[in-house]
Amino acid sequence: MFEWLFKYPAAVFAKGQFVLLGSWPRWILALLIVLAGVGLGLLIWSRLSQATLRMRSWRAGIVWLLQFCLAALLLLLLWQPAITVAELKPQQNVIAILLDDSHSMSIADSGSTREADAVKALENGVLASLQKNFQTRIYSFDTRISRVSNLAQIQPTAPATRIGDSLQQLVSETSDLPVGAVLLMSDGSDNTGGIDRAAIAALRSRRIPVHTVGFGAEHMSHDVEIDDATVAPRALANSRMAATVTFQQDGFAGQKATISVRDGNKLLASRDVALAGNGKSQSETLLLNAGDAGAKSLTFSIAPLPGETNTANNAITRMVNVTSDKRRILYVEGEPRWEYKFIRRAETDDPIVEIASMLRTTENKIYRQGIENPQELADGFPTDAKDLFQYQGLIIGSVEAGYFTPAQQDLIRQFVDRRGGGLLMLAGRFALADGGWSGSPVAQALPVVLPDHNKTFHRLPATVELTAAGKDSLICRLTDDPSENAERWKKLPYLMDYQEAGTPKPGAVVLADLKADGRELPLLITQNYGLGRVAVMATSGTWRWQMSLPAGDPTHKMFWQQFLRWLVADTPGHVVASVPSQMLFDDGRTKLTAQVRDVDYLPATDASVQAHIIGPGGMAATVDMTPVPDSPGAFQADWNAEKPGSYMAEVVAQRGGQDIGRDDVTFERMDGVAENFHTQQNRPLLEQLAAETGGSYWSPQNLSKLASQIPYSEAGITVRNTKPLWNMPAVFFVILLLLFCEWILRRKWGVV
Amino acid sequence: MKPVPRIAVLIALVTVGIGLLALRSRGFQWYGQGPFTPVTPEQANVKAEFHWSRLQYNAAQGSFGGFGYRYGYGFGGGSWAQDYPKADRQLLMAIRRLTRIDAAPTEQVVELDDDKIYNYPFIYAVQVENWTFTPAQAARLRQYLLRGGFLMVDDFHGTEDWENFLRGMRMVLPNRPIEDLSDNDEIFHVLYDLGHRFQVPGEQYVVTGRTYEKDGYVPKWRAIRDDNGRIVVAICHNMHLGDAWEWADSPEYPERFSSLAFRLGINYVIYDMTH
Repeated sequence: MFEWLFKYPAAVFAKGQFVLLGSWPRWILALLIVLAGVGLGLLIWSRLSQATLRMRSWRAGIVWLLQFCLAALLLLLLWQPAITVAELKPQQNVIAILLDDSHSMSIADSGSTREADAVKALENGVLASLQKNFQTRIYSFDTRISRVSNLAQIQPTAPATRIGDSLQQLVSETSDLPVGAVLLMSDGSDNTGGIDRAAIAALRSRRIPVHTVGFGAEHMSHDVEIDDATVAPRALANSRMAATVTFQQDGFAGQKATISVRDGNKLLASRDVALAGNGKSQSETLLLNAGDAGAKSLTFSIAPLPGETNTANNAITRMVNVTSDKRRILYVEGEPRWEYKFIRRAETDDPIVEIASMLRTTENKIYRQGIENPQELADGFPTDAKDLFQYQGLIIGSVEAGYFTPAQQDLIRQFVDRRGGGLLMLAGRFALADGGWSGSPVAQALPVVLPDHNKTFHRLPATVELTAAGKDSLICRLTDDPSENAERWKKLPYLMDYQEAGTPKPGAVVLADLKADGRELPLLITQNYGLGRVAVMATSGTWRWQMSLPAGDPTHKMFWQQFLRWLVADTPGHVVASVPSQMLFDDGRTKLTAQVRDVDYLPATDASVQAHIIGPGGMAATVDMTPVPDSPGAFQADWNAEKPGSYMAEVVAQRGGQDIGRDDVTFERMDGVAENFHTQQNRPLLEQLAAETGGSYWSPQNLSKLASQIPYSEAGITVRNTKPLWNMPAVFFVILLLLFCEWILRRKWGVV
Repeated sequence: MKPVPRIAVLIALVTVGIGLLALRSRGFQWYGQGPFTPVTPEQANVKAEFHWSRLQYNAAQGSFGGFGYRYGYGFGGGSWAQDYPKADRQLLMAIRRLTRIDAAPTEQVVELDDDKIYNYPFIYAVQVENWTFTPAQAARLRQYLLRGGFLMVDDFHGTEDWENFLRGMRMVLPNRPIEDLSDNDEIFHVLYDLGHRFQVPGEQYVVTGRTYEKDGYVPKWRAIRDDNGRIVVAICHNMHLGDAWEWADSPEYPERFSSLAFRLGINYVIYDMTH
């Protein structure tokens, strides 16, 4: 219909350039159109007085408009409108046909496989129609392209798809060929998550349009698929971890499904959930125990449901490096008090976190506990970075700011900011605002703006309630079930005291509120500051939880152990190694990165850094890491995990032959797994690829018009054709329509 | 002998017997109670981190109480109230003056039948040879100790007192061993170094010159620990720290005994607040 009305395919208008072939200047056309409008207007206006009363209104304007449009169109035709468009020269160009042969093309959505549908489409006329005017080259593609002589050679068995890489390879390999267009037939399942800009740029540089043909259902009829599982890549041994599993489903809305996480065959956690609506993304949180130290490959899965078409996408794997390295906290307390005693008791049986404490028992005596040697803290609170930064966490109890020198106060701030440690400020007679901390450099790091008055500490009972953020926080999780946990907090014995902590800063997170004396105040506030994290606990009376609940009740111990593990778990060492992604699907290329800092936690730019890598089958290698330009202390190395399996890289940094530090990072290569995910047709990706390269997206049902669209391309060997527009049937229809409309209206208004 | 003189003799014998029994149980003071200042309402309502809490227990039948004092009740009480409240008050003065503990200026009394006891992780009991517990009370004291509470016992002497003390203690912690504390134990060094100690006598020393009572010739510093090795019951046997605190301002009572008693009391409190 379009071509009948407009004489040419839509691609001509989309890609062509509108021109006027008439030799007269264009300004004359514009002038004549204006004059025609004015002239017609004057003519109608001059006769308006003789017209019927009914016509002396907007109706005269309608008549003028119709006559003006007709005159303007006729004038335009006198200037010979046309369109110029680049066209591929027949028989001189190549059309590259890329057919996806990855495993996902073997899915039979509609009775036959996607691969069979694609072959069928080519054989049923598409290929023949293209070959009338062009040479064709057929390629199969997955992670790279392979030229095939006939379609029967293509089998959908490849374990992965990388459309971008394949297109880049095509552009590279056909650099000496006049490729006029690419016909890409695929379900759009790309294992890299998208097509990178380099591939698009390569195609654009040669102006090659990619016409995409999508195969496969856009929505699966009955399927559950895990999209992602997020879990911290590092954890402390036997600590509670939260993992968020994101998934979607089609065809099972409202039904129950079981989510579980396993370490090998060992079930770590499991939950039954109600499935959300079809096609809706759903996230569920699982709590699990990290278990013993070691590199772990955790499998998150959803139990297959009856009638599910694809169960291979019900499980996903993530790596977690569980460490049992000791974490030490320095606890400075200004007066003997029960909170000090019970916090220390709560940490007694924590094998990871140790508390070294210094307590002012009298004005001039300090009682030290948890020290590793007689010299530790013998001179009081550390005065230099090296001594303070050996700890991963710092608790400041009821100690006035004036107890520390200004330099020590700034060191505390740097402990969080630069060293990346965790700081906890407790309430007390000499704490927070009452301790004069408002004017200290430490105040910058606090998650609250401290009150501007004193006497903020009150020995009055206070009850606790979790905020929405607190209900989600692992710090406050006393039971796995969130609603049960919130209820348990509400029923906790009252606190012995509380302190007005002040106003939470933007970016701070209030995990719990306290209610006391008719007021509701923030109790537990946290925030990240610099490389570290800071918390304010506006009470020193949680010890009453321990004394008021039956012996053996874990509430007090569990809260403090989780809280203090949060405080120190993410405190970095001198070397922090990382990879962009711990899971490598089908492509083993990765980049090892390490941040190296010296004893004062300043960037160690002159360090010598090596990565010792061990992998599957006893593979072992040592890689020198090189400094990253413009990033002091950062080192990197490229690495290719050639075989599927688990890898561990131990990054060791040295300076002058002395160890600065070391860190482990784990990653795993899995082949043939990603192809099982996102198996529905990724139409948005195919449409985007076509749009960005000047091609079109096609469904298999309307491929008959493909051959008429493909020639309009600026790639390959082209000729620029001019196509006159004056004789388009649509023009004559418009002229007739304008005349007809005026006639009809005049009849209706009784002017004729 | 005529009947009337017989009754008179009987009354006289009973009276003397009661008096001797009271003396044996140390219920009566030779010199009476030391002077103390009554508690003002302001003092009684002070909110503080540390409250000196004296355990009021049920005394065994046949024991006699000493002169006790309860707010608003006047003299009375039982053996739990020995030296009360002056001993408590004077130790609190020392704690407030010599340490950074935010201690209430006045003592208080706690009972095992009241949940308030769980608000005070330190309790002090005296003349524990007289204590008795119902099974419920014993269970509550066991809960108190297992949750993190600390019990200091004082002022009982000799073999018989020890056996009587054990009878009650075994109801509370039946299977926990009692050990003699070494001079190196942390409780003797947490603030003051008290590796060398001596017997602290009651105020009867002023008259008799004896540092012991009954057959309690050798002072015993003993303890019961929890599963983590922390002392939860500190046992001061064959000594009378309470009297040493109470009579610290008496010219006749030797300063060295009071000095050691104060240091021991403070060390025990700080040990509890740190372990």
